[in-house]
Amino acid sequence: MSHDHGVYGDADATEEQKTNPATGANAVASTDATLEGRAKSSNQHHGPKAWVWVLIAVVAVVAIVIGATIFGRKSDDAASGSGQTASTVTIGLKLAPTNLDIRNQSGSALDQLLIGNVYEGLVGRDSDNQVVPAIAKSWTVSDDGLTYTFALNENMSFSNGDALTAEDVAWSINELIDQQYHDADSLEGVTSVTDDGENTVVITLEAPNSNLLWTLTGRPGLVFDKDADYDAKTEAVGSGPYTVSKFVENDSVTLTANENYWGEHAAKTPTVVVKYFADDNAAVNALKSGDVQVLAPIVENLAEPFASDSEHYTVQTGDGTDKYVLAFNSKGEKTSDLRVRQAIRYAIDHDELIASRGGADKALGGPIPSLDPGYEDLTDLYPHDVDKAKELLAEAGYSTEHPLELTLTYDASTYGTELGDQLRSQLKQVGIELTVNVVEFSTWLQDVYTNHDYDLSLVNHNDSHDLYQWADPDYYYGYDNAEVQRLYAEGVAATSDEESDAKFAEAARIVSEDAPADWLFNFRVTTAMANGVEGFPFNMNQTLLPLYDVTYTA
Amino acid sequence: MIVSLLRAVWRKPEGRFSLVVLALWILIALISLFWTPRSLWATDGYNVWDKPSASHWLGTDGTGADVFSWLMAGSRTNLLIVILTVAFSGAFGLLLVTLMVSRNSALANTSVVVVDALISIPTVLIALILAVPLGASIMVIVVACGFGYGLNLARVARPAALLAARSSYVESAMANGACGIRVLATHIVPNILPVLLVQLSLSAGTAVLAESGLTYLGIGVPSGVPSWGHSLATSVKFINVYPLTVLWPGLIVTVVVIALNVFGDALRDALEERYVTAAQEEAEYGR
Repeated sequence: MSHDHGVYGDADATEEQKTNPATGANAVASTDATLEGRAKSSNQHHGPKAWVWVLIAVVAVVAIVIGATIFGRKSDDAASGSGQTASTVTIGLKLAPTNLDIRNQSGSALDQLLIGNVYEGLVGRDSDNQVVPAIAKSWTVSDDGLTYTFALNENMSFSNGDALTAEDVAWSINELIDQQYHDADSLEGVTSVTDDGENTVVITLEAPNSNLLWTLTGRPGLVFDKDADYDAKTEAVGSGPYTVSKFVENDSVTLTANENYWGEHAAKTPTVVVKYFADDNAAVNALKSGDVQVLAPIVENLAEPFASDSEHYTVQTGDGTDKYVLAFNSKGEKTSDLRVRQAIRYAIDHDELIASRGGADKALGGPIPSLDPGYEDLTDLYPHDVDKAKELLAEAGYSTEHPLELTLTYDASTYGTELGDQLRSQLKQVGIELTVNVVEFSTWLQDVYTNHDYDLSLVNHNDSHDLYQWADPDYYYGYDNAEVQRLYAEGVAATSDEESDAKFAEAARIVSEDAPADWLFNFRVTTAMANGVEGFPFNMNQTLLPLYDVTYTA
Repeated sequence: MIVSLLRAVWRKPEGRFSLVVLALWILIALISLFWTPRSLWATDGYNVWDKPSASHWLGTDGTGADVFSWLMAGSRTNLLIVILTVAFSGAFGLLLVTLMVSRNSALANTSVVVVDALISIPTVLIALILAVPLGASIMVIVVACGFGYGLNLARVARPAALLAARSSYVESAMANGACGIRVLATHIVPNILPVLLVQLSLSAGTAVLAESGLTYLGIGVPSGVPSWGHSLATSVKFINVYPLTVLWPGLIVTVVVIALNVFGDALRDALEERYVTAAQEEAEYGR
């Protein structure tokens, strides 16, 4: 944005002066001024035409851009119906992994890319977030809930040809615990992982943990080749239906069908290319032009042209466990008052928020989304009620003369400025003056997450099974309720699903009643794809994206 | 003097265009202090990205707020930014000019080198560095632009200022005991006034562009403060689906920047006539 119109020291100075009779004979002081004037615009006597042309050019460019946007549909017609199954399918995703080291590198982008595709877990997860067999074909749990015995499949192998044995399984999990790889703390209560040399692995616990099986569907349960030697940052040796044949940081990953795949989920498409688009408009253009066949996620508001063109595209929304949590600092000066927190919850019109985002998201009244154990519809606890909110604020000592002033701290580059503006508008109606403090994510981590220095915070908690956050008084919410902590502990220690679900549900209801946060909505991922793509998962595809079933018929 | 200058600008068609646009801008900015068609904070989530209609002349944005009201209110923020930037770059530029034509040759030479070195730093980089401690704020735009344009101004104005500073009338004024500030005000500034005004009008235009650019990058006007850059930044994400919402702030910024640049041109022409006459008189007087 630096500009430079100066030409000081220009050799034309004297010449210019000679050619200008008006200044020709005058004092030296005018030389540079004249020069400056000439240098700036050589055709000053054609001034009016110049700006008219500029204006016309601008309008023309704008018109062309709009025209191209509206009418410039697909250069490459997606489903022209020639009936050929493509050997390559390209998928557009948003968050790119910085390297492939799934043991050390955090971030759900790696889970999404590698789990179930390149690496397999001892157990897997289906599209309803339920535990299903994977490396283990079955398992039994002892009555006291302390011993898990897994029977493994037979004749399994890694992509490099090595046999996958019970030894690899036990070694992988033990390594995770010993080396404290990413997510190792979720296996804290594990006392031993052993193999019998045959096809059985036994995990013993010091206390029952109803979350264990589900935990093993994620990174803690992944099975690696004990004998393989490779650079985990750029290569991957797993037992899944695909192998990584090319990894370009922050750009793309090429998956090729694993020739040595042992199981039922053999890849249907030989090559799947995953491309990453940080920019939403670039992603949309890629789908339009046929560079990618699938886009997940697509911003709901941007999906409209695809949704209205069902001849060429399919747009579908899947369930997920993302919770947009508007946390109220439970230890905050103003927000420690229950009436204030309740007033905020009554003041928020969730239906309006969801409608403005395109209507795909789901209302969520508590900390547990529908795909997690213990879910219960709690949206009736705090219905939108402006009068009730005002009443509570008045009780808490706030009025129009003495309004409640709060600050919302969040990262608008990720979540958009719209949410902050809408919340300010909604809260203003009940007499709360909301200041929106837009920060970088790193600042959010420092101020809110680490130092707990905030009134209101907005962040998307996308983890599944994360009710523990409300049972941890040291978490940034600052929520400390002994009853919730007891119920959560009992739920984890329960030996039957029914019992643990009931405990979690009870805890979630208490959390929601205490209003330490408002759950704005359960974010649902919208996927847009060219017609002819089959087998792409819609549910939870930001953390769990099995690609073996994907095909594209052009 | 100002009136006669404006009259001279008005005489040219492009000058008329620029004056009309600038007058409208100031007028709308003033009106927006008291009145906008809709409250800025009246969001309606059920009617986002609406097309232009009787109730929303330019449609609604992603929160369901009225685009026209936001653009109206944005005009005052942009006006403020332009005024502050022009004032800051003018003051900073003059300070540099004073240093650069100083009689202390070491100081003068050093400042010339320093200005030439600093001028290579892009305004965006300065803004990014400033944004670290300040966060997104109007001050970031004003200081970054004022700094960058001040350097430009100093470099462009230096030759004229140098000639004035070394002229015989300044010599005699100094001999008569006039202080540096007095010499600057009475002799040097009038001599570089044409360059100064043209550069400042260019700064004003570029400041409007800079506001849009920096706000788009998230280091300009903070969230919740209406500005044209804010309107552009929020709508540009959806240019694929709702291109109209990008068009309005885009058009306004374009027209205003053109007007400011054209105004600079017309002002220079007007000043040149006046300046030449004055200089001729002075030359005759000197002779």
